Amino acid sequence: MKQTVRALTWATSVFWIILLLFTVTVAYSALQIRPSFSEPSVSNSGDVLTASLPMILYNGGFYDISKFNITTLIKDHRGQTISCSSTFVPIINGGANTTITHTMSLSIEQAAIGNLSHLLFNDSELNVEAAVRLVYARAFPIEISLNLSMPWGAPFANLTVGNISTRPLNLTHVRVLLPLSFENHSFLEMNGTVRLEIADQSNHIVGNGSTGFMLSPENRFETVVEVLVSGDPSNIREAHFYFQTAFFDYGPLVIALV
Amino acid sequence: MLPRVTKALVKGLLYLVLFYALPMFLVRQVSGFAPQLFADYEQLVTLFAAVVIFFAVATELTSGTIYQHALNIGKALILIIFFVLALDGGIMKLDLNIMEGQRVGIVADLRVYLMMLVAIDLLGLAKSVLQTVKFLSDKTEKQMPQLQPQEDL
Repeated sequence: MKQTVRALTWATSVFWIILLLFTVTVAYSALQIRPSFSEPSVSNSGDVLTASLPMILYNGGFYDISKFNITTLIKDHRGQTISCSSTFVPIINGGANTTITHTMSLSIEQAAIGNLSHLLFNDSELNVEAAVRLVYARAFPIEISLNLSMPWGAPFANLTVGNISTRPLNLTHVRVLLPLSFENHSFLEMNGTVRLEIADQSNHIVGNGSTGFMLSPENRFETVVEVLVSGDPSNIREAHFYFQTAFFDYGPLVIALV
Repeated sequence: MLPRVTKALVKGLLYLVLFYALPMFLVRQVSGFAPQLFADYEQLVTLFAAVVIFFAVATELTSGTIYQHALNIGKALILIIFFVLALDGGIMKLDLNIMEGQRVGIVADLRVYLMMLVAIDLLGLAKSVLQTVKFLSDKTEKQMPQLQPQEDL
């Protein structure tokens, strides 16, 4: 029994010393991790908007960082997912520098055709959920999460259709003048065409017209669209708008006319 | 009795420096650049030091008695509970307010580390139990009547 007690005393002492050394070196190594961020960049190819966040992670400690994963989730105010991006680095060795570029992609066309079309016409707040997950020293899984909100500027904000006025053209047609205005609150240059169709009470298309627009950010577009309508103008019920831009096509947006 | 009290006092002072003054100095140093992270640790260090110093002094004062071993077993059990509570069962969560309206949540899974601490403490507990058994068997052996060699008839 004496030998057993002695062996246990030795084992306990040795394990305590190893654990103390491990704790001190892990704490010291964790303080030697230095992340540095470069200037984020935004680019667009076709209808896909890409934001890149380059960062350099210097792991100056003794232990490896493994399963490093950055995830960003962008949601609208209703909780609908707009974009979900993930960047995975299998291992960052101790004493090594690693460059990581996290990219977030957003397809405007996909947003427009999905349940996110309200983002085209209404300014909103977007919720960004960012999470960094990693395993430090192959023993400690760590998760750092950040929640923030950012403003979203709609490319066709405050879309307004004014009161229509009619001017007779001939016995069968009238000229309908439709005042249209909107503001570009997004950071994109919006160029394209608005095509519109006029429908009567029985939902027949009785006339159509179109107008082009070139609108830089934070500018207002105002025009009067002239549409040739056949039949009685008092039968006009609604207008169907179709937007065609370099980034997306969207339509119809139905607005009742009074 | 007096050397035992002196020994307990010296041990208590040594443990005070090792388990209170030194860790507190380190915690205050790191608190300087991340006060939100390490502010609560001063309380934990104080509690840990109080437990360790109390048991060190008490076991020294009761050395050579059954109470010394009972205190060693108690210390091992209390430390296991302390580690589990101090590390929140191994999953530590921290919520930091870095900017107005922006919160950073940190979750650290320290279950492996907690397992190491508990395993070493269980080893210490096993040692204490064996020491108690040995102490009791030695005591019983001493109380038994000594066998005398029989004289040849």
